[in-house]
Amino acid sequence: MSARPKVLIVDDEERFRTTLHKLLAVRKIDAAHVGSAKEAFSEIANNDYDVILLDVKMPEMDGIQALGRIKRENPQIEVIILTGHASVDAAIEIMKLGGYEYMLKPCAIDEVVGKIESAWERKLIRGGKTMDANS
Amino acid sequence: MLNMLPTDSYRVYILVVPLSILLLAVPLWIYSGPGPGFAALVVAAFCFFVISSLVRKVVKAREQECLLDLQLIQSQKLAAVGELSAGIAHEINNPLAIIAQEVEWARHQLQAEKPDGKSLAELKDSLDEITRQVDRCREVTHGILDFARKRDPLVQSTEINKLVEDMAKLVEREVSHEGICVIRQYEKDLPPALTDPPLLRQIVLNLLNNAAYAVGQNGTISVETRMPDNGKIEIEISDTGCGIPKEDLNRIFDPFFTTKPPGKGTGLGLSLCHSIVIRLGGTIAVQSEQGKGSAFTVRLPLEYNSHKSR
Repeated sequence: MSARPKVLIVDDEERFRTTLHKLLAVRKIDAAHVGSAKEAFSEIANNDYDVILLDVKMPEMDGIQALGRIKRENPQIEVIILTGHASVDAAIEIMKLGGYEYMLKPCAIDEVVGKIESAWERKLIRGGKTMDANS
Repeated sequence: MLNMLPTDSYRVYILVVPLSILLLAVPLWIYSGPGPGFAALVVAAFCFFVISSLVRKVVKAREQECLLDLQLIQSQKLAAVGELSAGIAHEINNPLAIIAQEVEWARHQLQAEKPDGKSLAELKDSLDEITRQVDRCREVTHGILDFARKRDPLVQSTEINKLVEDMAKLVEREVSHEGICVIRQYEKDLPPALTDPPLLRQIVLNLLNNAAYAVGQNGTISVETRMPDNGKIEIEISDTGCGIPKEDLNRIFDPFFTTKPPGKGTGLGLSLCHSIVIRLGGTIAVQSEQGKGSAFTVRLPLEYNSHKSR
């Protein structure tokens, strides 16, 4: 089990995800980034991620549809929605689909890191419970 | 459409029908005696009560209908404001998020005790990116202001072919190196139109830029003017670009609707065109087939009529 969370950033704004990647690296968070939901699925299939930072408005498949598929196929991964699109309906939908948190851009990097860490902790606790139940 | 209350026209029936029977009763009384005359009076009174009761019910129903119409318009307005706000929030929040991150990154670079060449280069890159994102925000806010600005068109006699050609030349200079060919087909002897040239230029330029974007590389943009028998001038701008998906066609004139990648379009261009064309008393239509291209047709009256255009 890794000592720090492994994060995947999914956002169609290239500059947003590359700078966020650099800022997370400075805080010793191992992150990768992709520009679409489709790329995210193949990343998740090939690598283990603890937390996904997911944008909502993206071409081809939006973040809400992607969230549904991620939680169906990989329920152990925690997903934080990070979007500039403010909508109460979307926030409700995200929570219903099992999203961990809904964050509205712009937000401070410390806030994002805080949410990543608490999502990771929840994943670890859930993983622990699952292991207890199996043993 | 809002129903106007037609209460007075309905109320006329309360008087007209019984009065007609009453007028019939008077000669009946004179010529046939009090019996038929009295019967006609009874019928008139009966008609008066029945019709007045019916009219009251109709008027009440119409009042309720009007109230529902007003509520519907109000809820549509609120929905439009909500949609618009969400669109504005998205278009502004994304560049703001990038600015916030670049500031954070620049701060990190400055925290180094002895900033080296790489740190300074990163710092400069962050500042450049902030400038780009501020421009992006400005484009959005200016677009909204243009969209909301309802200045009355300043009407002048305008040579449509010349105006369209000026814009075509402007775009041609930009796209010629991309292998895009601009084909003209202007109707000869097109009479001058009374319209607002700067507003019309904005429409044509916007449509030409969209066509160039849709084509990308190696394609054709056709610009055509014509005057069919309906007395309207038509400007058609078509392209051999990617076309518009069927499901998007009824949304392309909505504010903030865009299929362009982030930062490449505000989604206000076509909605602005639509709003200007309406202000000029015309219409705009689109035909498109995905993978084959799109054609936008602007129809404008020869003479701008300020009353019809509002």
